Amino acid sequence: MKIRKIYYALLSLVLAVGCEDAIDIDQPGRLDADAAFETVEDLNLGLRGVYDNMDLTPEILWNGIFTDELAIGIENGGQRVAEYGLVINPTSAITNDFWTRNYDLLNAANRLIEASELIEAEDASEQTTKNIILGQTYFLRAWGHFELLSYYSTDYADDSALAAILVDFVPTIDQLLLRSTNADFYNLINADLDRAESLLSNDTTDPTTINKDAIDAFRARIAAYRQDYATAATLSAELLAKYPIATRAQYQGIFQDVDNTEVIFKLERTIGDNYDAQGTGATAGGHAGGIYSFANATITGGPYLEVGRSLFNALDPFDVRYDVLVAADSEIDPDYETNQNPNLDILVVYKYPGSEGIGNMNDLKVFRSAEMLLILAEARVAQGNLNGATNSAAALIKQLRDARFGSPTDLPTYANQTEAYGAILDERRLELAFEGHRWKDLKRMGIRGNRQVVRDAIDCAVVNECSLSPDDFRFTFPIPQIEFNANPELRTQQNPGY
Amino acid sequence: MRSKLTRMLTPLLVLCVSFAFAQKTVSGNVTDSSGIPLPGVAVVVVGTSTGTQTDFDGNYSITVNVGQVLRFSYLGQKTVNRTISASTSTMNIQMEDDAEQLSEVVVQGYRTAPKTKSAIAQVTISADESIKNRPNASVVQTLAGQVAGLNITTTSGQPGANSQVQLRGVNSINGNTEPLFIIDGAPVDEDNFRSLNPQDIQSISVLKDAGATAIYGNRGANGVIVIKTRTGNFDQALQINYTGIAGFSALPGNDYDLMNSQEQLSIEKLLNTGRGAGLSDAEILAAPTFDWVDFFIRDGLTQNHTMTFSSGSAKATQFTSIGFFDQQGVLVDSDLKRFNFRNNVTGKSEDERFNYGTNLTINYSVSNSPNSVGTGAINRNYLLGANQSVTYITPDDYPGSELLAQNWTFADTPLLLLDYLNTFDNREEEVRIVASANASYEVAKNLRANVVGSMDYISEFVTTLEAPENWNDFFFGAAYNGRQTQQSNRVFTYNQVTSLTYDNQWGKHSLNVGAYTEYFKAHLRNFGFRQNGLDPRTFAAGDDAGWIVDNSENDFFVPQPNATKRDAGLFSYFGQADYDFDEKYGLVGTVRRDASYRFAESNRYGTFWSVAGRWNISNESFMDGSVFNVLKLRASIGTAGNQRITGTSVFSAPDLTRSLFGTGPGYRGQNALFLTQIPNTTLRWETVKQTNIGVDFEVFDSRLRGSVDVYEKETTDLFQSTPVSAINAVTTLNANTGSLFNRGVDFNLNYDVIRNKDMKFTLNFVGNYNETELQDIPNDEGEIIGIGRNGGILDEYFRVRYVGVNPANGNLLFLDADGNVTENPNLDTDAVWTGKNPYPDWLGSFGFNFDWKGFYVQTQFNYALGIDNLDFDYYGRVNPNTIGQFRTSRDLLNAWTPNNRVTSVPSLTAANLNAAGQAGVSSDRFLLSADYVRLRFLAIGYNFPQKFLEGTGIKKLGIFFNGENVLTITKWRGFDVEGLTSQQNEYPTPRILSLGFEIGI
Repeated sequence: MKIRKIYYALLSLVLAVGCEDAIDIDQPGRLDADAAFETVEDLNLGLRGVYDNMDLTPEILWNGIFTDELAIGIENGGQRVAEYGLVINPTSAITNDFWTRNYDLLNAANRLIEASELIEAEDASEQTTKNIILGQTYFLRAWGHFELLSYYSTDYADDSALAAILVDFVPTIDQLLLRSTNADFYNLINADLDRAESLLSNDTTDPTTINKDAIDAFRARIAAYRQDYATAATLSAELLAKYPIATRAQYQGIFQDVDNTEVIFKLERTIGDNYDAQGTGATAGGHAGGIYSFANATITGGPYLEVGRSLFNALDPFDVRYDVLVAADSEIDPDYETNQNPNLDILVVYKYPGSEGIGNMNDLKVFRSAEMLLILAEARVAQGNLNGATNSAAALIKQLRDARFGSPTDLPTYANQTEAYGAILDERRLELAFEGHRWKDLKRMGIRGNRQVVRDAIDCAVVNECSLSPDDFRFTFPIPQIEFNANPELRTQQNPGY
Repeated sequence: MRSKLTRMLTPLLVLCVSFAFAQKTVSGNVTDSSGIPLPGVAVVVVGTSTGTQTDFDGNYSITVNVGQVLRFSYLGQKTVNRTISASTSTMNIQMEDDAEQLSEVVVQGYRTAPKTKSAIAQVTISADESIKNRPNASVVQTLAGQVAGLNITTTSGQPGANSQVQLRGVNSINGNTEPLFIIDGAPVDEDNFRSLNPQDIQSISVLKDAGATAIYGNRGANGVIVIKTRTGNFDQALQINYTGIAGFSALPGNDYDLMNSQEQLSIEKLLNTGRGAGLSDAEILAAPTFDWVDFFIRDGLTQNHTMTFSSGSAKATQFTSIGFFDQQGVLVDSDLKRFNFRNNVTGKSEDERFNYGTNLTINYSVSNSPNSVGTGAINRNYLLGANQSVTYITPDDYPGSELLAQNWTFADTPLLLLDYLNTFDNREEEVRIVASANASYEVAKNLRANVVGSMDYISEFVTTLEAPENWNDFFFGAAYNGRQTQQSNRVFTYNQVTSLTYDNQWGKHSLNVGAYTEYFKAHLRNFGFRQNGLDPRTFAAGDDAGWIVDNSENDFFVPQPNATKRDAGLFSYFGQADYDFDEKYGLVGTVRRDASYRFAESNRYGTFWSVAGRWNISNESFMDGSVFNVLKLRASIGTAGNQRITGTSVFSAPDLTRSLFGTGPGYRGQNALFLTQIPNTTLRWETVKQTNIGVDFEVFDSRLRGSVDVYEKETTDLFQSTPVSAINAVTTLNANTGSLFNRGVDFNLNYDVIRNKDMKFTLNFVGNYNETELQDIPNDEGEIIGIGRNGGILDEYFRVRYVGVNPANGNLLFLDADGNVTENPNLDTDAVWTGKNPYPDWLGSFGFNFDWKGFYVQTQFNYALGIDNLDFDYYGRVNPNTIGQFRTSRDLLNAWTPNNRVTSVPSLTAANLNAAGQAGVSSDRFLLSADYVRLRFLAIGYNFPQKFLEGTGIKKLGIFFNGENVLTITKWRGFDVEGLTSQQNEYPTPRILSLGFEIGI
């Protein structure tokens, strides 16, 4: 009897223990979407999340590897060899990355913009804070759209060419959209930049934060890409006046992150942020210098991609850009053409020498006044002002080269527009090397300037791909396969050649 | 109806002090009706507690008084009583089959039933057949090939490594595909058996069809494996057994045919790369050849000791086991040591209305396990060092960490790894406790109330050390100066089944009805830290003496802590009814309602059911005199759910129904707020509906025994990634959509070729054929690369077809989508479905058991057909881009040249080397057949007959030799053909040879 009683007691206990505690379990640390944004300060936290989607390392990699900036390095174990072999197709990691990363950025920006509509500022000062947050968010949305246009549009200057999918709202998961034209993209980008300008305050000068000058620099670049050279000239001239070209010492400081003379806007990269990692991934993320080496920008730092020989040959050792682009401990084989031994000719990329005691980690320069100078020069050529000591493309090139050499250089003369565009492309190649421009520059100006990808024989032997004409279809990305999986209709809008 | 206890009667081992007079010794031999010796027959002197049992050859010897009665009893045989006369000294007994007595009791889920009354598809393997004494650290590995439809793959040779277990195909794409494991009523973590002692196991039952698994509801979709550990017997004198095994493991070979230093340097010279580029022929000839396999791989030693004590009184039994196991892996710095303790107790009240039992095992294991195995990390994966290091570099070339960091190339990979071996340490300690308690009380006639409570506790502690002044620190920046991490991972699960069962028999009818509730709760608690910066003078693994403290200049030395807390739970209630008529017809029905914490906000409860029926044809009168000793037809249909729809852990994806934001570092590392999860508000179980028809048969005096089952499983509401446009910030969202079919046949055959008193020779054959089919793939085109296409097989490879080498120029040739030969395929449009996937079509084993007067040989050949895998390792060995850095295959010596135009190896400088084919994953060039036949298990042994042991005080003595992975026949060129997935410098499972002995007193 006793046992029976105990048993009944146990049984009833078990049945009485409801099931709820096994089913209704709230995991720790969960923040529901409804509760995520409630104050302006929350929006500020959200903005930092949106910012974090902006990254230049994939551009820096791509514009180097698919052109003549880079060569396969001494410590290469197969990294980026396919890309160096000029292989790109709809399943390539790089097009996946550009497509998804920029839509991540747009999604995050749109969510923040949507959330901000429900949050009322309590006073004027909070309203200002909110405006500044929103202004930066619109800038970032414009950035995302322009990135997509830059890599997926066949022709930046053709308004009727297709760009990518335009998203200025928070989509629902069943939405399958087709590509919009460049004109639609430019309209939205300009509208977003106008909104950003009206919302941002005038006194923001921190070059690591989106500011009004960054908006103008962005507009100048867009105008140059679109070949709207009147706008490009006005904006770039203004910025060039405000941000002087750096001296040789300042210039080296810029790339060690100890000087901001020329810097209009850059993305800060610091210890403990989400980009503080080795960064040998095939596409994005990590330290910028990790694109080139395993550990750091020295000959023992494991360089697996090196300075392309043709770029190196274009560099003058008296040019400060030589010191910024090539590590001092590089091994240079003056007889490389006869020896043909890459092991003796090791040209270490030095543009990202590291900062804060961390090798390879550097801020990512988005807009520098040197680019503004070269945009202005481009505009001068377009406007027919090729030569002459003032107000000409030649004068601007001389201004830049004087600063880089630290002594006066000859004023160049250009026989025609083609020659002048070619010279600007050559100068951009040196000035903006490893900053993510070369491929886009050849795409938009290669024909006009009669330039193409030209690799030195010692570099291209590995892959048997020594040149690439700017009219090649591979100067436009394919829409990635991953998008077709969801959105097969889009296949009809695939870019030519793929 | 017989009580459960009688049904579970097992050979009694009774031995007590005898105290009688006029004693004499009677001996003899006991056989069954066909003359086969019966081992383990209980021989008891009626009315006393004196008894013994027959030995392996059916012989017994017992001391008895004249006039007393000897009783011979054995499961499934009629009990025989014989009175001893003064003249009796030899008494041979031929027992008769007992039609009434039940031949075997089989696991039905939460209860057991006699085999004749079982309507489900299940297989039980007893430890004595083929589990005990095998040298594998994990019992799961031992199961490979033994059960039709059970696919077990072990991708790592790390002692105690986890195995992937799949029953009757793969039933899920993203979710858990492994069966539920239950040890003595306790559901346990299916990925962790390294701490448990296989020697404690009595039997393993694999439940396959819906009739068997529906009662496990939302955890039974992938089948259920029920493990029962040993117990003592009532009325049994203390019996002590010791088993000792010593063994050694060796790396299996590979057929990559790698170059020696001279060949390697010559090809480097040819391509003007690497060290060979600048060497003269004489220098090349003089280069040393050092095979780094000999440096990173060793012969591993194993020792395994188990001591067991079992005994029982009239109302209680106990079984105690103590084990020690120590296995060195074949890879340096890999090993497993463990201590096991088990205590199983059963008991019953005086009136036998109350029964109880407890099972407790406490285990401690320590394992050294290298990390980064299977990766391409040249500074961390020792296997890469063993397999790919150039042979002209020798350990003598190691200049020390700092100098090596200043001057190294990829070819120095073995030296980097040598440095890592000196400075790296990864040690995993684990305490694992599995405990269960059951009690049952007969509250009224035929009505019992039962409860089973169980817990599984795993506490793992991982200590990882990278000593200061190692190569990685010098290379990546010495400021960090070594690091140390410690991680504590604890998982506790509690499970309780409470039930009321009614059992009755009237006339030819019998009925068993049960009502059950099940409660499950699991808790995960992780905590750990990482300390950067160790002082080379004082550092020690697991100690803070050498920690460099934080300073104001930088934050390098701030320790980084982490913590995770997760809870999971399930609740179910269910009922089952089992009706039998005259042991000829039976019907079992199950209904179960389940709730899972995962679906609390979407579909809280799911309902699963099954119906199973049987017809014991051989029990029909019209079958009298037929060749069939047993003929039973079974059929079942039903559903089971999979609530672990993603990941392999019960804790993963706890609240996918919610839209979530998270906080963490954003721009500049400052705190930020961002979207972390897009919700799926319609989340529900994956449901597996299974239909099974099977036949059990025994013919020709039961010489040929077997079963055949045909099944179809359909998984609906597959939780799989559904592509969405990238504008949503994700490219896939998991949703319940699509179906997956597994259709196949299981068969199991045993044939006694020779069966007599002295000799038994049995052939066995186990097989499964399984095919998969996908349906309702969630996109417009009905195909997803990486998963498959509508009507196609699961995980079908989608590849550009490689056809060979162009004799004109040595380039690789492919086929485009239309079948035209091309050198420049388009990866998007020229890839085709290959009809191949990494899962076997045919899988199983065959072998024989041979016994002759105590001497025995057992073989088990496993086979698998229809597996295709990508051989990444081979790709690496014939990739010309690696020449100068790594060791390559002699296949490259046959590369295309203008003088060697007809060859299967492309030119070393082929123009399209980096196109589709060379990328390895992109074309089918390296997609190779991984079919195999393998002598998976070989046992040779001798059990000393009882007559040799008389007077020694030893009751049992045997010696044995066991081999695992003794021989493999395959076209696969890599080390280990059994890898589930494509492998790259993985840790191959070794060949293990062992020698042991077993002694009982």
